[in-house]
Amino acid sequence: MRRPLAWLGVLGCVLGATPGNAAAQSADSLIVTGMRAYKNLEFDAATLLLRRGVVQLTAANAPVARRAKGLVYLGAAELFRGRRDSAVAVFRRLVVLDPRYRPDQLVFPPEVTNVFEAVRLRTKTVAIVVPRDTVIPVQDGAFRARLVASSFQTVNVTLLYENGTSFRPLYFGPIGDSLEVQWDGRDAAGQPVPVDRLLLRVASRAPTGELASMVQLPLDLKVNRPDTLPWPHAPADSALRPERAASGPATRALLGGLLLSAAVVSLPVAVGSHDTPSGPRVAVASAVGVATALGYLLHRSGRPLPANIRANDAVREEWRARVAAVQAENARRLADVRLRVHAGDPAVIEAAGP
Amino acid sequence: MRVGWLLLLAAAVGASRLPGQTIHPAVAASVVTARVRIEQLGEAFQFSGAAFGAEGTVSLGRVELGLSYLQGRLDPDTGSAPARDLVEGSVLLGVRPVEWLTLSAGPHARAYATNGQTQRWVYWELRLRAAKPFIGTAVRGYAELWRAVAADANVPEPFDHAQGGEAGMIVRLARAPFECRVAYRIDHAVLGGGSRLETADGVVIGVGLSWR
Repeated sequence: MRRPLAWLGVLGCVLGATPGNAAAQSADSLIVTGMRAYKNLEFDAATLLLRRGVVQLTAANAPVARRAKGLVYLGAAELFRGRRDSAVAVFRRLVVLDPRYRPDQLVFPPEVTNVFEAVRLRTKTVAIVVPRDTVIPVQDGAFRARLVASSFQTVNVTLLYENGTSFRPLYFGPIGDSLEVQWDGRDAAGQPVPVDRLLLRVASRAPTGELASMVQLPLDLKVNRPDTLPWPHAPADSALRPERAASGPATRALLGGLLLSAAVVSLPVAVGSHDTPSGPRVAVASAVGVATALGYLLHRSGRPLPANIRANDAVREEWRARVAAVQAENARRLADVRLRVHAGDPAVIEAAGP
Repeated sequence: MRVGWLLLLAAAVGASRLPGQTIHPAVAASVVTARVRIEQLGEAFQFSGAAFGAEGTVSLGRVELGLSYLQGRLDPDTGSAPARDLVEGSVLLGVRPVEWLTLSAGPHARAYATNGQTQRWVYWELRLRAAKPFIGTAVRGYAELWRAVAADANVPEPFDHAQGGEAGMIVRLARAPFECRVAYRIDHAVLGGGSRLETADGVVIGVGLSWR
């Protein structure tokens, strides 16, 4: 009685999964129904449901964990249907998808886990684990990628141009469980990366040296160069005081003194007194003349003005200090070039299997 | 005289009030080498001596009030006239229509005391004073002219006219309020249609404090 019901479920799921309502028909429900069929030992129905569910999850680029769950049940179902080759193919696909995956030994019997383990050991592939976005200082930073191997193998890690030519080899050698490779953001000559896209390729080799598989990860690169500060403008002439005396003050002292001396000498005439001794007037006019001569010398044209020179030196020194600060800040900024690395989706290229 | 007072009053009223104006006081002491020459009916008498004086000014904005006092003894240079004491004082109210020009008016009294007799002169003066720095800001030159618009003197001759003036320089070093003055002053009075001429002149040397 249960078997026909399961087949009815399969029929309903398969017929209902038309393109029009594919979205409504959840791939997860196919997986769940397939798992239920597997547990009910209805392996044919389980295979049908799980395969369809895995196809949909793959098409939808679902998370690896969900796809792996469907694949392990699918492989186990195939195995119990007596189709070992199909089971091996599914397990191989699972290992390639997630080299770290291990079947739960409480759920799957040793027949399944042993076959999976054998497939895993034969399959030479790696998973590249990197953050989606990484920013590294070009001066002393490094881009790090962690490689997780399905089994012991030899890998060749290389950065390639988009056209497939080599940009920089990063590692060649054995890998057991996992390995971290680093790239300093420069080419083999130590120069900053000249392109905005590279491929990180990991080639896995069998013990015989044959190429087993390749995983390729596109890396979008962008160099962030910080803006530098503009240099401070030199002090404007209007901000500086004259450092040499102009001719105006000296001329004013000379003319003013002459005028004042004349006023002193001619004062009696101005008030109508024509018989006044000239001695006192001449004495005062002479004092004014001495002061005038002194003033003229002190304010002569071209005379250095120490106070103004000191004030201007302070202004220029302050400007030099600001220039030095900007130079230091710009040097710091120029050294702080950062490389932004955006990792795309990895692509697995499998060599033709035996 | 009324005209002069009206002019001064109009200038004082018309003077605009300066922003943030404060009272600026100034005081000074001076010594004057005074000389007085009197020509009367063809005879000339001349006296000279030293006089000491003090003066003060208070200014608020464009208005200023000045007081002065001078006292000394004059000895005859010629003839046998007795020595006389000189006492002089003035009160002048002024306005500054522009920074360098001061227009002032007020009474100016002078007395000569000889053997218990005192000869008093009172002038009502109208003064014009121009002052401006000419050596940097340290040395300021000034010239002043005045004319008596009215006078009262206890002398026999009727008063005709009188006028005078002063010119000199004030030296003020650095930013200190201390300043020195050297000037020449003279005034000349005519009485009795020219039958009596009185001329007083001298060199003024003074020191003072001025807060500007």
